[in-house]
Amino acid sequence: MKKLIVFTMVFLTAFSLFAGGKSEKETGNVMLTIAGRDGAYGDSMQMAADAYHEKHPEVTFEVLKLSGGSLYEKTVIDLKSKTGTYDIILIDDPNAPQYQQAKWLADLDVLYSEEGKKVDADFIKPALKTCRFPYKDDGTLYGLPFAGNVELFAYRTDLFEKYGFSEPVKWSELLKAVKTIDEKENGVNGVVFRGSKGNPIVTGFLPIFWAFGGKIIDDSGNVTINSKAGLDALNYFLELSKYAPEGVAMYQSAQVKDAVYAGTAAVAPEVWPGWIGDLENPEKSSVVGKVKVIKHPGEIEKSSPMIGIWIAAIPEASKNKKAAFDFLQFLTSYDMQVEMADKFGNPPTRQKPYTLSSLQTKSPWYPAQLDALNNGVARTRSTDWKQIEDKLGSALQFALIGDLTAEEALIQVEKEIKTIIK
Amino acid sequence: MKFVKEKNGGIFFYMIIAPAVLFMIWLTVYPVINVIYLSFFDYDFFSGTKNFAGIENYLQVIGDKLFQRAFLNTMVFSVSATIAEVSLGTLLAFIFYRQFRGKKLFMTIVIFPMMLSTMVVCAVWRILYHYDIGLLNYLVSSSGLEPVGWLINKNMAMISIIIVDIWQWTPFAFIIMNAAMSSIPSEIFEAAQIDGAGSFKTAFKITLPILTSQIFLILMLRTIDTFKLFGKVYALTQGGPGNSTETVSYYIYREGFSYFNMGKASAASLCVLLVIASFSFIYIRQIFQED
Repeated sequence: MKKLIVFTMVFLTAFSLFAGGKSEKETGNVMLTIAGRDGAYGDSMQMAADAYHEKHPEVTFEVLKLSGGSLYEKTVIDLKSKTGTYDIILIDDPNAPQYQQAKWLADLDVLYSEEGKKVDADFIKPALKTCRFPYKDDGTLYGLPFAGNVELFAYRTDLFEKYGFSEPVKWSELLKAVKTIDEKENGVNGVVFRGSKGNPIVTGFLPIFWAFGGKIIDDSGNVTINSKAGLDALNYFLELSKYAPEGVAMYQSAQVKDAVYAGTAAVAPEVWPGWIGDLENPEKSSVVGKVKVIKHPGEIEKSSPMIGIWIAAIPEASKNKKAAFDFLQFLTSYDMQVEMADKFGNPPTRQKPYTLSSLQTKSPWYPAQLDALNNGVARTRSTDWKQIEDKLGSALQFALIGDLTAEEALIQVEKEIKTIIK
Repeated sequence: MKFVKEKNGGIFFYMIIAPAVLFMIWLTVYPVINVIYLSFFDYDFFSGTKNFAGIENYLQVIGDKLFQRAFLNTMVFSVSATIAEVSLGTLLAFIFYRQFRGKKLFMTIVIFPMMLSTMVVCAVWRILYHYDIGLLNYLVSSSGLEPVGWLINKNMAMISIIIVDIWQWTPFAFIIMNAAMSSIPSEIFEAAQIDGAGSFKTAFKITLPILTSQIFLILMLRTIDTFKLFGKVYALTQGGPGNSTETVSYYIYREGFSYFNMGKASAASLCVLLVIASFSFIYIRQIFQED
């Protein structure tokens, strides 16, 4: 028995000596762990990882495809503990200030200068700006824009023509069209949007709020949501919602997409590139050639579409920063952005892909999408955005279901936001 | 000599169980102590700064109207669902106590919902509850009534979630009651029959009193579980419409993992723990008394 134990120990010791011979760095083999999104973003990321691995066989990947909430939780907990589990993470742009302020992300300006390079001028400026902290054109670069998401506006051209309305340029003009179509067109609601609490309803409301001249927090850091502009915007939003389907207060993206594809709504003030990829596919859409996707109407201010950039960043604790940075450049390169857009409808973050005729044929709204991105407004840059958004979302829904008046909702949310940022 | 032996035996006993006890302490006591500790701090998770806040987090939580509403909703849900599940489970156990054709098949059908994951259950019920295309509203409309906003009406949403929970967890109460009833010696029923007791009298005067401790056990288990309601709210209503389906677990989750307000989330968790522990204490005392 003793002999057996001694033999086993000698064998294991010898084996461990050989097994632990060289580290990944020494052998040149690197495994990059990516904390990414599920769905089309996940497929795009996987495709880029596979393509990169083909060119650089020494680099392998583990791509985690997570839901938005799970991605946020996992990355915050991991980056806080500085374990270096992830080499690349995706960040929804309104959450970026939290990561940036906590100094959890690698400074890409430094990595660029080490390689004697500069960030490509083809990136869409508002998209690239969300990667900087402070949020200025010359802020430090903490990531590169992976997906150029932007909120768009869709309307039924056939119904607008039928009732003598032209393309809406102002929100106030739109109301009459929505009301008329809702009343006269059988089985068609005037408007459809996501009315669920939190992010969904806020997302639908903000382009209206901004166009009416509203600001949640002004440049001096004062809470200014309860203003005349804010009240006008909310009153308009509530007026518009009278022509929405029953139960819109619980609508999520699935219900909005269903209504747009089935043609049961004349206007969808909030659609995203990822939702409308099959609009011109007769197998999936009942409104082929009948829906036009444009940037939002304006009002006092110009059109103010909301941008929602997904930023790819390298955690400061990553043990493979150089390899991660090389992959990051590959991921956001022109060729890869075109391929991801072509195969999975990933919205590019560069200017040039939007001008490609092959992509425009597939997505006729590309010029409008580029226009919206270039004129896009980012959500309030605050480390407390998640709480602000939730409070605003609750107040908006209370107003929508009639539990609060517009005035009461704004007074309530102003008080809550003041408490949060205090 | 005997004393030394016993003493040594005692030490050996403690040495044997020490690793398990230490592991349990590490797994259960340490996190609870940490939660208690955090609940007294204003903890900025991102910067890592911790400032002693005394009972400020508790005051904030208790004074928060959202928490008050969430607590009330949770109580309504917990009491309604638990009572309904235990009552229906007991009724089913009585029905299945008798022999009838196809008993095994029906039993499998009855316990089937419990085997499904909450997310699957919610996906099924979400379709059933759909305002326009749901089966329930189809039946309601076919009867000439107005369709019901099961999940979209603020007065109906909580009731709808309670119905889903009853559907999923009544089988649990049924299984325990069924097993308990099977363990009652048949002589007791035979004697009651000879003495001329009818089915109703046997059930209320013999069977239910014998099963009291099992009933309290199920009440305790279901109260604890229903008080932690999260998945169904997350999948069906996300707390809406308005705050009509907000629950304390959902509140804690949002404070902890969405806002990373760990101090406030810890304080809220401890408030909930206190309530659940109080309920459990009452039930456990009752169970021991019955035993």
